[in-house]
Amino acid sequence: MNRRHALRHIALISGGLALIPSCDFSKEDILAAYENLKITATQKALIASISDSIIPAGEIKGALDLAVPDFILVMVNDCFTKENQEKFTAGLEAFPEYAEKTAGKKFADLSSKEKETLLLQGLALTGDENPEETVLAQVGYFLSSTKRFTIQGYMVSEYIQTEIIPYSLIPGEYNGAVLIADIQKTRVNG
Amino acid sequence: MANLNLRSTQERTYQAIVVGSGISGAWAAKELCDLGVKTLMIERGPDVTHLKDYPTTNMLPHEFPHRGQLTEKIKEENPVISKCYAFREDAMHFFVKDAEHPYVQEKPFDWIRGYQVGGKSLMWARQVQRWSDFDFEGPARDGFAVDWPIRYKDIEKWYSHVEKFAGISGFKDGIAQLPDGEFLPGYELNVVEKYFAETMKKQYGGERHVISARCAHIHGSAEAFAAQGRGSCQNRNLCQRGCPFGGYFSSNSSTIPWALKTGNLTVRPDAVVHSVIYDEAKGKATGVRIIDRLTKEVEEFYADVLFINAAALNTNAILLNSTSTRFPNGLGNDSGVLGKYVAFHNYRARVSGEHEGHAEYTTSGGRPTSGYFPRFRNVYKQETDFLRGYAAGFSAGRGSGPDTSGIGMDLKNNLLNPANYGPWHVGSHMMGETLPKESNYVALDSSLKDEWGIPQLKVSMDYDDNDEKMVKDYIEQMSEMFTKAGFTNIQSSDSKQAPGLDIHEMGGVRMGKDPKTSMLNANHQLHAVPNVYVTDGSSMTSTSTQNPSLTYMAFAARAAHHAVAESKKK
Repeated sequence: MNRRHALRHIALISGGLALIPSCDFSKEDILAAYENLKITATQKALIASISDSIIPAGEIKGALDLAVPDFILVMVNDCFTKENQEKFTAGLEAFPEYAEKTAGKKFADLSSKEKETLLLQGLALTGDENPEETVLAQVGYFLSSTKRFTIQGYMVSEYIQTEIIPYSLIPGEYNGAVLIADIQKTRVNG
Repeated sequence: MANLNLRSTQERTYQAIVVGSGISGAWAAKELCDLGVKTLMIERGPDVTHLKDYPTTNMLPHEFPHRGQLTEKIKEENPVISKCYAFREDAMHFFVKDAEHPYVQEKPFDWIRGYQVGGKSLMWARQVQRWSDFDFEGPARDGFAVDWPIRYKDIEKWYSHVEKFAGISGFKDGIAQLPDGEFLPGYELNVVEKYFAETMKKQYGGERHVISARCAHIHGSAEAFAAQGRGSCQNRNLCQRGCPFGGYFSSNSSTIPWALKTGNLTVRPDAVVHSVIYDEAKGKATGVRIIDRLTKEVEEFYADVLFINAAALNTNAILLNSTSTRFPNGLGNDSGVLGKYVAFHNYRARVSGEHEGHAEYTTSGGRPTSGYFPRFRNVYKQETDFLRGYAAGFSAGRGSGPDTSGIGMDLKNNLLNPANYGPWHVGSHMMGETLPKESNYVALDSSLKDEWGIPQLKVSMDYDDNDEKMVKDYIEQMSEMFTKAGFTNIQSSDSKQAPGLDIHEMGGVRMGKDPKTSMLNANHQLHAVPNVYVTDGSSMTSTSTQNPSLTYMAFAARAAHHAVAESKKK
């Protein structure tokens, strides 16, 4: 095992928080935990910030409290095809400029309301053959993937499934004709 | 072949040997043991002990790193097994990975395998519909394959025998092509499925039925199964992980522990059967030659009676590899039909739709089964331009999906309080009978070998014109029936999936009356080597439309009793 491998190994064991020195991809260090992606700590922080806007903390915990950014990156790293990974990272790279162009400010400097407006706009993006449109489509793809995994990582988390809406391993006898009007549900306030 | 005599011959001699511990093998072993026969059950894969070896059975969804999904790496490494609906993060350890056991696809064939004690009985879909004389008389009536040497009356009491032990839930529906059995309380159809069933009855003069599919789950009182250590199904729908309640039937939860309790069963996991040993002087089979999966050491085991139930295609492979002076082309293969006339079920087409009605209803809880369309085509007489017919699955469901359109606190509150009931979704998939043909076959590859030096199996199966017509008819008929029920947004699809993904491959060691055209007689014995029995999927003369596992169980029990009766005659 060479030094780089050894470091990578340690990084994996220590939950992927360590940074691996690297000189071939970018000026900033690449997070080694996501070995198929070339993601920097700054980019991960951006994803975290976006997921925080998608599901913020309130009366109950939000996406950031449940390590959702990690989940997003694990899913993109492990379960996306190479092609979709490239689309995702291209969108991620293009997002800061898109945000500044569209909202007139850096994403980090926007108010929560402005962030929401921008993200809703970005989520609606699709593109066609035109190269500029392609970049916009990549931004749209990046945002919709991030949103999808934010929802999944949040809803299928230990916190939600044990404390908020307990998941039952034993769902009970089937009832094939339940009147919706009869269903009593306690409202959960986010 | 070294190490043959490390242990004495006597130590390696049993009264019966069963090769395979899946549904049919373990049933044969259980019956033999109940009848006092000292039995060795050989399994090529590792042991899986009930309760102890179900590592994921009580895991919560969030405990799976990818929430159940397969990673790209696993998909890339396993293009075949990744296609199987049950090969997911929670149960993939029970499936054979592509690289572990290569085979030759002369034509595309998705071979789905489970190499462990219990075989595929751990991950099966647990559907158990009886066959009828419309199936057993099919080849003779419609002029394909060869006539089955048995009829429903020969197998009826064995269906009852295995159903009572396995635990089958269902309703007595009184349908000629789907005989009733020994049922525990059935699982009722939901309100939309019932509506569809009623509509079909009215629209088609009582000739088309939608019923609750019979399934191998303990429903209602589990008292009769306490002796097996099994309890009621808890509607978890996590069956493929192995059930801690023993709620569904598997070899692991039922027949194997039962047989072990008799004191007559020895289980030998990690033993890859190389071949059946044929004694030219005695004129019978005397045992099997195995290769230890891990040490690669060769060992022989001996017995008076052998059951080869290694799963349909692997039983073919073992017999093909069992050559001798008497049988140069494979054990019992005087006819030359060994490996030929293999067939499967045609699962290519689906029809789906939506139902705007019954909007005031939804469902709650879980159930281990759904609706079922028994075959209605060409049942009493030939009506279409294709032979035989298809059964179909049918189910209706409704979820309360959240509105995910927004973002921020709006989205969060919508996710936590899902209130959006869309229309009911209805769906159906076909299960078509295919015709066994000489041109669909398996054979041993002449050069490629597996890790144990055994020739790889070459599979050559394909659809034919009859199957294409059946796909078309299923789509037309199901779309018409959905239309008549007022369903909307009706969509159909033909996956064109390769044979194999149905996991109902059958034949190659078919039963028949004539030794010149078949391998097995009416008692499941090789015509030419009567102390060898085969009762797994390889023995099937035709495929019916019904899921075949229940019939393998019945065949295995019937054959075991026959073998014991024969030995008493001597």
